Formats: sequence, structure tokens, C-alpha cells
Amino acid sequence: MDLFKDFIGAFKFVQNLFQGIGKFFTPAKAFSWQTFIYLSVFSLVASYFCVGFVKEIIAFFGWLFLIAGTAWYTTDDPLRVPGTFMPIGALITGFLISVFAFGHHESVVTIRSIVLWPTISAIITAIPEFFQGTGTEAKAQLPKVQIRQKLIILVAWSLLITCWLQFYFVVDKWLKEYPSLLSDNFQKSMFVTRVEEKSKLPQNGNTILTKLQPLIEEQIIDKPWSKVEKWLLESDQRVGSLGNQVIKHNLVKYAEHGLWRVEPRVTNVKSGYRLDILTIWTGPSASQLGFYLRKSCLIQPTSSSNQQDRKNVVADIKCDRFNKLVIGPPPPQQ
Amino acid sequence: MTETFTLPKVLPIGTILFELLFLLVAIPIEAYILHLMLKFDKKTSIFYAIAINVLSSVIGWNTFFLVEPILPIQIKTEIINYVFFNDFKTPNAKTFVILTGFIIFFLTFLLKFFLLKLMLYIINHSGETQKVQVVTSRREKFHTSIREKLLNNNLATTTLIANSVSYTAISLILLIRSK
Repeated sequence: MDLFKDFIGAFKFVQNLFQGIGKFFTPAKAFSWQTFIYLSVFSLVASYFCVGFVKEIIAFFGWLFLIAGTAWYTTDDPLRVPGTFMPIGALITGFLISVFAFGHHESVVTIRSIVLWPTISAIITAIPEFFQGTGTEAKAQLPKVQIRQKLIILVAWSLLITCWLQFYFVVDKWLKEYPSLLSDNFQKSMFVTRVEEKSKLPQNGNTILTKLQPLIEEQIIDKPWSKVEKWLLESDQRVGSLGNQVIKHNLVKYAEHGLWRVEPRVTNVKSGYRLDILTIWTGPSASQLGFYLRKSCLIQPTSSSNQQDRKNVVADIKCDRFNKLVIGPPPPQQ
Repeated sequence: MTETFTLPKVLPIGTILFELLFLLVAIPIEAYILHLMLKFDKKTSIFYAIAINVLSSVIGWNTFFLVEPILPIQIKTEIINYVFFNDFKTPNAKTFVILTGFIIFFLTFLLKFFLLKLMLYIINHSGETQKVQVVTSRREKFHTSIREKLLNNNLATTTLIANSVSYTAISLILLIRSK
């Protein structure tokens, strides 16, 4: 029997739940917050089927209805953000308003709408204090001194939170413009905390070396040995200009492209020369000495593969596959 | 600024905590000095201290946001270096920073002074048309102008003292931290 009672009880519970939901969604009067929400849903659906100018207008009204509806619903409910006298409703309405004001088609929520959200919510909290009376007959007035003080402090703190959000986005923008920072160590920083894994190699430095390698190989492979030796003598200029070319082609969309510099180092080895191609980071870094990436190439004389001039000695170049990250100043130039 | 959201790579938690610390140091000190010198009651002086400190840091932040995109890359490099690595790229940047610190001190003093005057105006302005004092003699007029001048002087001195004391406290905290 108990089981049966439980079943009936559960049934009652579900029924009540549905009734509650039904009550929540049915407008009590023609002029109520639910009406606004329905109007907004209707407008958004309608705007989906329209095009161009009409679509814009209908969507615009949809937003207005949505904002009005939420503002109305949430003012009925005086739940407040802990520690302040800002109603949670003002936060929701503020979010809708700032999305409405600063969002656009490509991205509904933009940086600006997030940044200005606290300030707009604070202003929404403040507005009712400047009016007196019921909804039908309102009179503009200045709030009392205590309330004025509270409002000023609320707006001031919200402005400060807005500034902090903006600062987050500034730091984020720096990391997008100077992605090589991400391969460095932020342990010493007292301003930011890393939440993402550190990348092993600065990606852009790697790109420079990988794109530069074939260009340099092209200038050396199968060239007469004497010419290559001459090339190596003026390698500072040659490699530097090739490096600038590569940087200009591949890194132009990053602001950090001015902070990379390409330099060669040539050393004599037994069988020929070793050419180290360095990309030196001159930007911000954790170590005072900075860092650089190195690709080592071995240049050796070989006999030509071409049958006809077998007597001529030509150059061959072999480069390491992987680039090495070195922390410290680049080695001195010869 | 590219309008795309990515997962956060770094969070400026330290910045927020530091600023809260500075405000928590500066607000009570300045409130106490306002209470002592301008004879405001305790609650009012705390209100003025919060308002001028928070609003002046908001103005400071906004100046930074306005100036930051147009800075030359060398200075930007120094700032980024300081934010991410707590150090400067070139050693002589430190003198430059001390100089900027001095300029910021005087600018915040001016800012706080004007903010305090603004707050006084907002709080004391009752909204109704104020009773216009009929000033009959020139002598009385002279006296009111003197009184206003004295109040203004007092306000400026108090702001200067409050600002210096709170800056000293914050500098001491920074000094202890760097040791």
C-alpha cells in the first residue's frame, strides 16, 4: 500500500510542478512581464524569416521587449548581489543592455559589452533612486544624501571592476600581439597568473628559421666553393636581409615582428664551415640576457654531381632538423 | 583589437589583489586624516576617502588604456616586461619609473582635490533651490570670500597630507616586499 501512496504522491508532485511551470509562463494580466518575453520571442522568430532592413527593425524591437521583460520580472524579485545593494536583476538587465548596445552580427558578445557590463548594471541600479512614486506617475528627484553616497560608491566600484576587466583584455591583446612571450616564464610576475601551459619554443622564432632555411640552402647548394666562401664572408648582410624578408612575409600580422632579428655566425670546422643561423628576441623576457633560437648548418665542399664539370668543387649544406632555444646573449660576432 | 574570444591564457589576479591592498591601505588612512582635519564625522569621511581613491584609480586606469595603444614599442616593451616578468629590460628604466612616480603623485593629488570638491558639491547640493543669502554690506561679502578661501586652502592641504601619507604607506609596503 505504501508503494501505491508513494506513487500517488509522486504523481501529485509532478502535477504541481507542471501547474507551477504553467503558472509561471502564463501571463496573469495582458500587461505583464511574460507578455514582453513572448513578444520578444515572437520578434526574434519573425526576424529570422525576414531580410535586410525589416529584419533589423524587428530584431531591434525583440531586444527592447526582452530587456523590458527581464527588467520587469527581476524588479519584482529583490534578490541582491551579496555585499552590495545591487539587485541581481540589474546585473541581468545590464548584461542584456550591454550585449544589445555593443554586440554585432559576427559576435553577439563583444569585449566591450563584457567590460562595460558592471558599470551599466550599477547605473541601472541607480536610476530608480532618481524617481519618486509609482510606475504610473513618476517624478524626478534627487535621492537623499545617504542614498547618494551609496550610489556614488556603487558606481565607483563598478567602474573599477570595469577597468580590471579591460586590463585583462589588454594583457590578452599583448599576448596575441607578442605570442613569443608565452614561451617565457611568468613565475616572477606579481601582476598576472598563467592558467595555460607554457609553450616550449617561441612559435614565431621557429617559423622564421623554418622559412629561412630553404632560402639559404638555395643560395649555397651546388654553387662553386669559392663563391660560397665569399658569400660566407659577407653572410652578415646576406642572412640579415633574407631574415628581414622572411619576417616581413610571415610575421607582419604580429606586432612583435620588429622584435626579432636574424644574425649568422660562421665558424671554421675541419671539413668546411659551420653556419649558425640565430633569430634573436629583443623583446620582453624573464631573463635580463634574453634568448635566441639557433639552427646549425654544416657547409662542406663536394665534387659536383654534374658530370660535365667534375673538376669544379661545389658546396653542400646540411642543416639540423630541430632548432635549439638558448637562454642568454648571442655569441660575439667574428 | 581583435573581437574574438579565446580561453584565458593569463589572469590578472595579482593586479586586482594589489590594487585592493593599496585601496585598503589608502582608504582608512585618508579617511582618518579627513576626519581629523576637516571635522567630518567618521562615516562621511570614509565615504569621501572611498570615493576619491576609487574614482582617481579609475581615471588613472583610463589614462593608461588611452595612452597604451599609442606608446612606442620600446616603452611598451618595458611595460610588458614589468607586467609579465616583474623587471625592466634596460636598467636605466628605473630612474624613468621614479620620475613617472613623482608625476603621478602630483597628478593624483590634483585629481583627488577636484574629486573631493565635486563630491562635496554633489552631497551638499540639496536639489531644491537654496536659500540665497542676502549679503548686504561689502564687509560681509569680504568675510564670506575669506571663509571660502580658507576652506579651499584647508581642503587642498588636507588632500596633500592625506595623499602623501597614503603614498608613503604604499611605498613602504612595496619596499618591504622587494627586500
